[in-house]
Amino acid sequence: MGYRFDRLRILIVDDNLHMRKMLSAIVRAFGVATVFEAPNGVQAWSKFRDLNPDIIFLDWMMPGMTGLEFARLARTSPDSPNPYVAIIMVTAYTQLEHVHQARDAGVTEFLAKPISANSVLARITAVIENPRSFVRTPDYFGPCRRRRNDESYRGPERRGAGVTQRAAGSAAAENRGTA
Amino acid sequence: MTKKQQQPIEVFMPPNVLKQKVGGTSASIDMSAVKRAEQALETLKTEFGDWIAADVQMLSASRDAFAAEASPERQGDLYRASHDLRGQARTFEFPLVERVATSLCRLLDAPGAAKAIALVDAHVGAIHVIVRDKIKDRNNPMASTLAKELETRVGEFLAQPARS
Repeated sequence: MGYRFDRLRILIVDDNLHMRKMLSAIVRAFGVATVFEAPNGVQAWSKFRDLNPDIIFLDWMMPGMTGLEFARLARTSPDSPNPYVAIIMVTAYTQLEHVHQARDAGVTEFLAKPISANSVLARITAVIENPRSFVRTPDYFGPCRRRRNDESYRGPERRGAGVTQRAAGSAAAENRGTA
Repeated sequence: MTKKQQQPIEVFMPPNVLKQKVGGTSASIDMSAVKRAEQALETLKTEFGDWIAADVQMLSASRDAFAAEASPERQGDLYRASHDLRGQARTFEFPLVERVATSLCRLLDAPGAAKAIALVDAHVGAIHVIVRDKIKDRNNPMASTLAKELETRVGEFLAQPARS
């Protein structure tokens, strides 16, 4: 059975109307019935809180609140309705330093412009099929910033000795982003 | 050890609510959905000419505001207008606009860009010409030579030690 994309609620945040139109046309063609749009971070925050979308496509460069600031807020604000929400950063920035910045802000996936139907589908599929574990440290709360577990790694635990692992499902009652 | 270092690091897997919601598997994705999305983009293509014209107009307005007052806010506005073109021009089938806008972003990212307003203008002018003449071939001899020249000039500007 294929995905029931019609059950998804997607929020598209971009100050550029044309990019919002293109992304909206693509996800609607996939069958997503509920698509919200916001032209800036402030309106996006309001819609995020009121409408609780499942996936957020987030532009990086916006006047006022940037995409990075929005991502940090979504992850760590006590007012966030869902600190685990899938955030797909859409940007023309593709240098490694930018990927690291997005990762450190709590972004789940990275979608490079120019976008295509295939690249958008690949990112949606990634957040559905390959969810990231979450990490809470004194300085960070968000998806695990390591892209993969290296099974062959035999060195010391690089996060230090104080790492605790919780079982799947135990985060259901997690409070809202206290890091 | 600092107080921060003493705090435990917690790693956990939240429930996969998305998967529960959409069901299915990626192996069973209806590939006709991609075709439908590509068709939707094809339909939008009729609007791409107007869209890039609007983006170029925004770039010009931001350039004028920056030339009048070279504040960080106005430099940021100009950067965003250029960055939008960089991100979308290839979709709009203007790959050389993407190339020139990338060069302009590189220039505007540097301290002291206000001192290079002539070079900013050269980029904005080049983008205007490429769109006006509907140059969609990235190998167009005139436009690609111009793009290369602009990239070289930006490189020279960035190499100046005392530009800020």
